[in-house]
Amino acid sequence: MRGSPVLPPKVGNAAATSRLQQFPPAPAANGGGYQPPGSPLGGDVETQTNWKGYFNVASYTPYFNVDTDVVVDRLISSVYPMEGFFRKIDVNPDMYGPLWITTTLIFMLAAFGNFATYLMQRKSDLNIWNFDVSYFSLAASVMYGYAIVVPAAFFFLFQYFGSRPSLIRFWCMWGYSLFIFVPASILLLIPVEFLRWVIIAGAGGASSWFIFLNLKECTEGADMMALIASASVLQFALALFIKVFFFA
Amino acid sequence: PARTRKSSPPQPQLPRGREISPAPSPQIRLADTARPPRRRRRAAMSHNYGDTIPLHPSSAQSDMDEIESLMYDAPSATVLPARPPSPPRASIPISTSPPPPSSKPPLPASSVPIFVPQGPTPAPPASVSVAIGSEGFGPPPNTLTEPVWDTVKRDLARIVSNLKLVVFPNPNREDPGKALRDWDLWGPFFFIVFLGLTLSWSASVKKSEVFAVAFAVLAAGAIILTLNVLLLGGHIIFFQSLSLLGYCLFPLDVGALICLLKDNVILKIIVVTVTLAWSSWAAYPFMSAAVNPRRKALAIYPVFLMYISVGFLIIAID
Repeated sequence: MRGSPVLPPKVGNAAATSRLQQFPPAPAANGGGYQPPGSPLGGDVETQTNWKGYFNVASYTPYFNVDTDVVVDRLISSVYPMEGFFRKIDVNPDMYGPLWITTTLIFMLAAFGNFATYLMQRKSDLNIWNFDVSYFSLAASVMYGYAIVVPAAFFFLFQYFGSRPSLIRFWCMWGYSLFIFVPASILLLIPVEFLRWVIIAGAGGASSWFIFLNLKECTEGADMMALIASASVLQFALALFIKVFFFA
Repeated sequence: PARTRKSSPPQPQLPRGREISPAPSPQIRLADTARPPRRRRRAAMSHNYGDTIPLHPSSAQSDMDEIESLMYDAPSATVLPARPPSPPRASIPISTSPPPPSSKPPLPASSVPIFVPQGPTPAPPASVSVAIGSEGFGPPPNTLTEPVWDTVKRDLARIVSNLKLVVFPNPNREDPGKALRDWDLWGPFFFIVFLGLTLSWSASVKKSEVFAVAFAVLAAGAIILTLNVLLLGGHIIFFQSLSLLGYCLFPLDVGALICLLKDNVILKIIVVTVTLAWSSWAAYPFMSAAVNPRRKALAIYPVFLMYISVGFLIIAID
């Protein structure tokens, strides 16, 4: 059912709860996913209200249709790089996870990055607490940029090479793959340099393996291996970037 | 903004405010001719407007029709203290609130204000929604022409009353319908700017960037938190939630001020922890009541995240 429009009952639910009288627009309804060339564009009502749906909060509620236990379950299964994750989000991809994982990560990187830098420098020069507020802006631009741009870029690349991915599921999966950096950034406070490298290598490795497995599952085709490998390498590069720029 | 009379019929209204027409007497005559259908309508809607103290002696003209209609309406009216209520705004309706105005007046340019009493809970719940001033009749005062100090005083009073409702323990806190019925955005604005300024003063380097980060986190954070609740299928009113999240910053403001004055790390940690807990306690009932109980943690967690990051900023800035 990948790439097919969202089933009407879910959308209707959102319409009922959000006082929205019209069907959400087609691009948001099917999650921006790939539509086979022959399929009709949903209904005529949708195409009329196409652009207005983008500015309506209610048309995005289907992507936040998760409960606490569902989110916790997805978070836990993202830490163990197992294969079942994509099957979990296939039916109901959510944007809540990616949004708040990246936001949490921004705060953690900025706060703990400052603290860790202070702990390292304390060994050489006592009491040099120097709070660098630009960590916040740097963390925000890097994390939001990565979480939004990289899945979109890979979506287009996969589509170019013939596969049929779904953008929302890519965003969801990449967002959850970042969760492992949250406990890692807590562990990176330990002011032992060798241990820090070990920790970040472990976190980066787990995250890229997670991406690798799930991409392999969702895009059938062995000739995509180059793309999948490059996605994993990029994820590991992000881990190294986090270590170098925030936890120096 | 000028408040308009709800019962105004579609026929053209002559401006009866003092500030527009210097000659009252021709007005009365013309108004008299327009009066009879309006009197009947006003009799039907006898509880929906109030005439309070006129601000200028020239407005104490004896409008006999006004007096007659008021005497006609008098049995159902109660005399409330002359606290000018706030303009009508979207709010979660509760059972004790006065019935909402049945129709907005079609003439926004009319300078005849009316009052829709929707004051906060200090007003007795059984009161009928008429605010009649204790002295004099005549056209009700216009907020455009009142002295600036009156406006400021009224807004400050509203900020204080909202603060007492939201941040301090009181029996009405748990009811989102009552908690911030009279929401406003001045309070949140003051608190956010004050927090940004305090953090900026505390910082020794990059002061403007500190202010920018604090302001952006708080302002964008409040909007994103509200959108988060709406996206999770919750039922809140956008501006009421913004207002609440802004008012819950008050304890953190106090904490930031204390940390500005006394620069000791241990003290800062203690103060920030206490005020952070206070802020979260203030915001919790409102946000948790707004969503499905299965999604409560999903709605509450970002609130904690925002307040914790602001608390961290307060501790960390030196």
